[in-house]
Amino acid sequence: MAIEPLPHTYPFRFVDRTVEVTGPASGRVRAVVTAGQRLPAYALPGTLCEMLAQAVLLIEGGDADLGRSGFLTGISDFQIERLPDPGDILTIDVRLAGRLGSTVKFEGEIRDDAGQKVAAGALTVKKGTASPESAP
Amino acid sequence: MEQAELKARVKELIVRQLKLEVAPDSIKDSAPLFGESADGLGLDSIDALELVLGVEKEFGIKVQDEEVGVTAFASVDALCNFIQSKAA
Repeated sequence: MAIEPLPHTYPFRFVDRTVEVTGPASGRVRAVVTAGQRLPAYALPGTLCEMLAQAVLLIEGGDADLGRSGFLTGISDFQIERLPDPGDILTIDVRLAGRLGSTVKFEGEIRDDAGQKVAAGALTVKKGTASPESAP
Repeated sequence: MEQAELKARVKELIVRQLKLEVAPDSIKDSAPLFGESADGLGLDSIDALELVLGVEKEFGIKVQDEEVGVTAFASVDALCNFIQSKAA
C-alpha cells in the first residue's frame, strides 16, 4: 500500500509503507533506516518516537491535511532497547489503546528484522482544527 | 461494594493512572477534577483519556462518548455514581 499522503518528506519521513491494517486504527508499518538517519545517539530516541507517531498517522488514515491538524500531545512509557543502525529494516506495530472525543492513545512496538524489540511506548494524539497553512 | 471503599479505589486509581504526586485521601469527594478550581485537580482532556482507560481496566466499564465522560468524570462522587450505575 502506498503512503504518499503523509505530509513528511525526507529526511523527516521515517516510515516507508503500510504492511497491513489489522483493525480500527491498528496495524503494521515498515521502515528502513537509511544512512541519512544516522543521527547522534542523543537524537535517536526522538527519532524513534517520531517514527511511531508517523506509523500512527498512517494507520489512522494517512491524510496530509489530517497530519497537519493533529498534535502529538503525550509520550508515555517509552522504552528503547537499542538504537537502530543504518540498513535496519524495522517493523512498527500500532494498536489503538483508547479514544475519547478527539483525543486518541496508541500503543506501539518497533522491532528489527530479526524480531528483536527496538523500542516500545505509547503516544497520545489530539486532533485539532489547525489549517495546513498555519502548520509549521 | 460500599461507597467508602469505592471512593478509595477511585482515588487510588486517579493517582496511579495519572502519576499524580498527591495522597489519594487528599482528593475531595465533590471537588471538580477538571478545569481551574482552588480545591480541584485541574486535569485536562489528555488526563480524561487516561482516566477512561483506567476505569475500563479497573472496573471493566467502557466510556467512548465524550459528553458522557464530561459528566461521569466531573468529580470523585460523580465517577462513583457512574460506576455504580453501570455495575447495577
